[in-house]
Amino acid sequence: MSLPLHEIASSGIQPTLVRLTEHGLSIGPMPNEIAPALEAKPSLIPARALKHGEQYRFHFDMTRCIGCRSCEVACNEQNGNPADIHWRRVGEIEGGTWPLTSRFYLSMGCNHCLSADCLRGCPVDAYKKDPVTGIVLHSAEACIGCQYCVWNCPYSVPQFNPERGVVGKCDMCHGRLTTGLEPACVNACPENAIEIEIVDQLGWRCDHASADAPGMPNAGQTLSTTRITLPARASAPLEKVDIETLRPEHPHWSLVWMTSLIQLSVGALVTAVVTHRTDPILLSLIFVLTVFTLNISVLHLGRPAYAWRALKMWRRSWLSREVLLFGLFFSSLTVLTALAWLRSTNFWLVSDSVFTLAQILASLCGIAGILASARIYLVPARPAWNMRHTPVDFLLSSAVLGVIAISALSHLASALSRLPQLAAFQPTQRASSIPATAIVVVSVLWILNHILRTIVLHNSNIYERRAAASLLNTEDLRGTFLVSFAFLGLALFLSLTGQPLLALPAALAAVMASRYLFFVSVVPLNMALTFIRQVHA
Amino acid sequence: MSLSPFKRLKRLTGIDTQREKYAYAQDPVYGHISESRVAERWVKTTCGYCSVGCGMLLGIRDNKAVAVRGNPDHPVNQGKLCPKGLSEHHILSAPGRARQPLLRKDGQLVPVSWDEALDTMVARIRDIQSRHGNEALGVVGTGQLLSEETYTLGKLVQLGFKTRNNDGNTTLCMASAVSGYKLSFGSDGPPGSYADMENADVILLIGANIADNHPILCHRVDRTSPGTKPRTLVVVDPRVTKTAMMADTHLAIKPRSDIALLNGIAHILIREDLIDHDYIAQHTVGFEELSQFLSPFTPSHVAAVTGLTEQQIIDLALLYGRARSAFIGWTMGVNHSTQGSVTVAAINNLALITGNIGRSGASPFSITGQCNAMGTRETGFTSSLPGYRKFDNEADREALAEIWNINADRIPVARGLAYPDMIEAAVQGRIKAMWFIATNPAVSFPNYKLLEHAFRSLEFLVVQDGFHPTPTTEFADLVLPAAIWGEKEGTYTNSERRVSKVNAAVSPPGEARTDFEIFLDIASRLGVREELYPGWTTTHDAFLEWQRVSKGRMCDYSGFTWQQIEDSGGLQWGGTSLYRDGVFATPDGRARLHAVPCDPFAEQPDTDFDFILNTGRTVEHWHTRTKTAEVAVLNSMVPNAWLEMNPLDAKRLDLRPHDRVTVKSRRGSVYDVELRITGIVAPGQVFMPFHFSESNSNIVTLGAFDPISREPNFKQCAVRIERTPLRNRRPSSSSRHA
Repeated sequence: MSLPLHEIASSGIQPTLVRLTEHGLSIGPMPNEIAPALEAKPSLIPARALKHGEQYRFHFDMTRCIGCRSCEVACNEQNGNPADIHWRRVGEIEGGTWPLTSRFYLSMGCNHCLSADCLRGCPVDAYKKDPVTGIVLHSAEACIGCQYCVWNCPYSVPQFNPERGVVGKCDMCHGRLTTGLEPACVNACPENAIEIEIVDQLGWRCDHASADAPGMPNAGQTLSTTRITLPARASAPLEKVDIETLRPEHPHWSLVWMTSLIQLSVGALVTAVVTHRTDPILLSLIFVLTVFTLNISVLHLGRPAYAWRALKMWRRSWLSREVLLFGLFFSSLTVLTALAWLRSTNFWLVSDSVFTLAQILASLCGIAGILASARIYLVPARPAWNMRHTPVDFLLSSAVLGVIAISALSHLASALSRLPQLAAFQPTQRASSIPATAIVVVSVLWILNHILRTIVLHNSNIYERRAAASLLNTEDLRGTFLVSFAFLGLALFLSLTGQPLLALPAALAAVMASRYLFFVSVVPLNMALTFIRQVHA
Repeated sequence: MSLSPFKRLKRLTGIDTQREKYAYAQDPVYGHISESRVAERWVKTTCGYCSVGCGMLLGIRDNKAVAVRGNPDHPVNQGKLCPKGLSEHHILSAPGRARQPLLRKDGQLVPVSWDEALDTMVARIRDIQSRHGNEALGVVGTGQLLSEETYTLGKLVQLGFKTRNNDGNTTLCMASAVSGYKLSFGSDGPPGSYADMENADVILLIGANIADNHPILCHRVDRTSPGTKPRTLVVVDPRVTKTAMMADTHLAIKPRSDIALLNGIAHILIREDLIDHDYIAQHTVGFEELSQFLSPFTPSHVAAVTGLTEQQIIDLALLYGRARSAFIGWTMGVNHSTQGSVTVAAINNLALITGNIGRSGASPFSITGQCNAMGTRETGFTSSLPGYRKFDNEADREALAEIWNINADRIPVARGLAYPDMIEAAVQGRIKAMWFIATNPAVSFPNYKLLEHAFRSLEFLVVQDGFHPTPTTEFADLVLPAAIWGEKEGTYTNSERRVSKVNAAVSPPGEARTDFEIFLDIASRLGVREELYPGWTTTHDAFLEWQRVSKGRMCDYSGFTWQQIEDSGGLQWGGTSLYRDGVFATPDGRARLHAVPCDPFAEQPDTDFDFILNTGRTVEHWHTRTKTAEVAVLNSMVPNAWLEMNPLDAKRLDLRPHDRVTVKSRRGSVYDVELRITGIVAPGQVFMPFHFSESNSNIVTLGAFDPISREPNFKQCAVRIERTPLRNRRPSSSSRHA
């Protein structure tokens, strides 16, 4: 699908599409045919057609920007967005000592990257890099509101609109460009600091140095196409003015529940398999828990009704893969539980090898699911997540919860088996008990991993990691951090003193508290923003 | 939210994504845009925020304002608007609009009819005047009114209510510019135009942060685009403002040392003989005295006072003196001072001795504040008589009396109390009733405690405003709901004397009426309507009379009709420059040079109050936020006040960014302000914006006033900064309606 602008341009009928002249917009002939007087103002959108291998991009001239934020308001008016969603944002950077202080502004929409991480992570293929213009387009119709793109973009460009249940982002006013009009921000800027240019994609891949600017994440990560003209005279290094602005991120409660409980399920299953507690009642308990957990997970979506679409991009998106693997875990667990019932009732003869195979399959799917789940968080745009401590934590949480849960679940199972209806399904006697050392070891490892992670964050040379450590040390979060360890200690104590039914909630509280901190304390990569701004919920 | 359970379920499950609300459409004029912003018709008008006077088009659909566009044909802004202008349509349907008259009964404001409201108002004021004299009534208007309305109000107050105590909130803003112009040139009237900034060789901005306050003027100082003239921009400001960053040279002087700098420049100009001897000889008075007075203002002396180096001062003087045309622009950094008027005179001195006035690119130019501050200066019956006439000039009084067909002795021979003096008089019990129109003194007036005392001392307080509640309407005995910009027709006059048309695009909300209608109704109830406003029904009738009143005066409106103003995108009275012939509005036609001493500002920091507090604005907000707090996009960008402090001071006080601090002066404390640690401000100085009633800087500011203009010294007072104890913190809410 090519755009009218492109068609007109490539047809050669009108080599010049639109020029801003001192008499306003004019659609007309080649520049060399225009009287010089009309060229007082340069065009703010390209005057020629895109060639193969080229795309549109923003050019932002920091030396012209006066920080008036007209572009930001014009963008919201153009797109009818709520007041707290800004597809174009203005930030401030500052450096030097009074009176030789320098302060400059950044205005940024979407950078329409050559290697867009938003697009790559999307589980439903809602993103498309337009083959004609290179604009990264997002479809609200396809989007299910998983917000994985929000986590993936190093510029925090995609923003979730809770009113709609979907994400939205700057599309370079695609609909205006197609009719030969400049984007709203370009049109509004009183200083002509923003314009649309053409960039040669291959050339830009080799040299994108002018996409970098103080206060901006490294452009190399996603190959941002925005060209930024920097001031020649900055007396000192320029830093983000919001560098000390520490604000907790969204807690994503449904994900706190979902990740903790699915790790519990998988951990319990694996422990059950290892310790030969594969009686149907216990497996059924794990099965019920898994069903409950998978239902919670869709609540994270802005559009839960379309959760099934998340499977679509399993070849590319780790989120799709997580959904797929947990789906397989659920299926194999279902089969395993059914087989266990069949074996107990002797209704159907199930060979040991088939049953063992089912056990191994379900366990592997579960572990793979947990690893895929952890992989989701290994995104460069969120440095405090993008650490080996994340998968280690997910596995250790699963182990801690598993070993502690299995005793509790066994208790429950044997209590249930006292019911007359279930009397026939006594747990097998060959179950081995959980050695206390195993519980102690995994618990200590879990705590060690968290302490190590915090130390690494604190000493990191990456700002976003240090900031995450500082956030953990704020009044609001410090208590929770300590409480998570206290809960684990309690769980360990209760477990060792033979009170598994109390130990399990304590262990779950420990994991959930630390998972809550995992979500709220992450500091995403972002452009510099302003010092004073609305606190987002 | 009254959604049906089915619809709610559809929304929760994500089946409904509000496609219609977020749909795009094709606007016939402006192309692809959110469907919610597509207008049926566009009404040409002028922005109602600041005095830049941008032409705009207001998009209307179903009798609601849905969009705003800059008017590409308007000479002032050529289609561009600032963020406030770009979202201005939102204020018309804002939830905080005043919709019905409210009268205080048993301590509560209750809705009443217009008849009851205005009958009560007239009866109460008459009663108070009968007991305490006519001058027990004080009226404070605003630069937000139309010129036609201000003109109507002036007659109503002076000839209807028979009190001279009539002033405007403009006294908090540009009164010192008016007084300074009068001191030097014998009359008010900014001599230049915006285009002068484009034509000057040197642009000197003193205490003017145009990037935050007048963003659409910034393209006038563009020196890099093709076709722009290469020239030098110098910004004088104690703070590294956004505007300072635009400059070729930023001179970060000590607060209130601008007079020393101006005198120092004049000293060097005279020493280096960079002055225009012919101009001085033919068009000025007082050069010898000035020259003598300036002799102590040597570069070394001025360097000590301003904190600049001698070289910086000499460079600036030479730059200014060698320029073929030089422009000096200023705003509140100059005006908001006890020495504001004379500082303006010192600026005018520079222009006069170098002949930088009355030519293209050469002007001492006050950039005004409100959209119609200029119009109220010309039409008002406040510090002068309408048409820049003088109270103490018999011929002026008689000329007016003849036009109005009244006895000349009904026109007073001296002005009444200025705004701050009315507040003082209210505290003293000399003023018993006040009427505030479209202004919010509870946030904008300095030394809040004194104002509160004044309000509590009044017997009757009327507040007429487009919004309710405001911090001021909370004190009111009577609230009159008024129409605002977008709902009224008339004219505004901008900083460069450009008279622009303002048009009504929608009806006022509820029972709100235009200020003009309210004034005429009150005149009827006073029994003076036919005498003062014979046959008047619309603001156009007021304009026609104003044309006759201004005819032959400097601010002559008789040469153009409403239609001509509208068609041309505004017309400048007096042309692009005043005083082109070098003849000034003094009896002998010569401008006056004044010897202006540089005194320290009133309240110097000491060991108890060791910081100098500077106040100012941010681009996202307008004045006391009665309007911009109602525009969600603006308020979300800057929802709360902050305090800027230099890193050295923060280190000394062991404060961190985002700490909550208390700003304490001898007069009161502002609690719970977010701290920004930044090299923008000098050590020993702090800055906070004055927009926020929740963190009202005027609780701490000083009640000191310019002796000539009566403008308050908002810009410097001594404060102490402390960490705010937990008990004094507020929940972090920002909306006025929270």
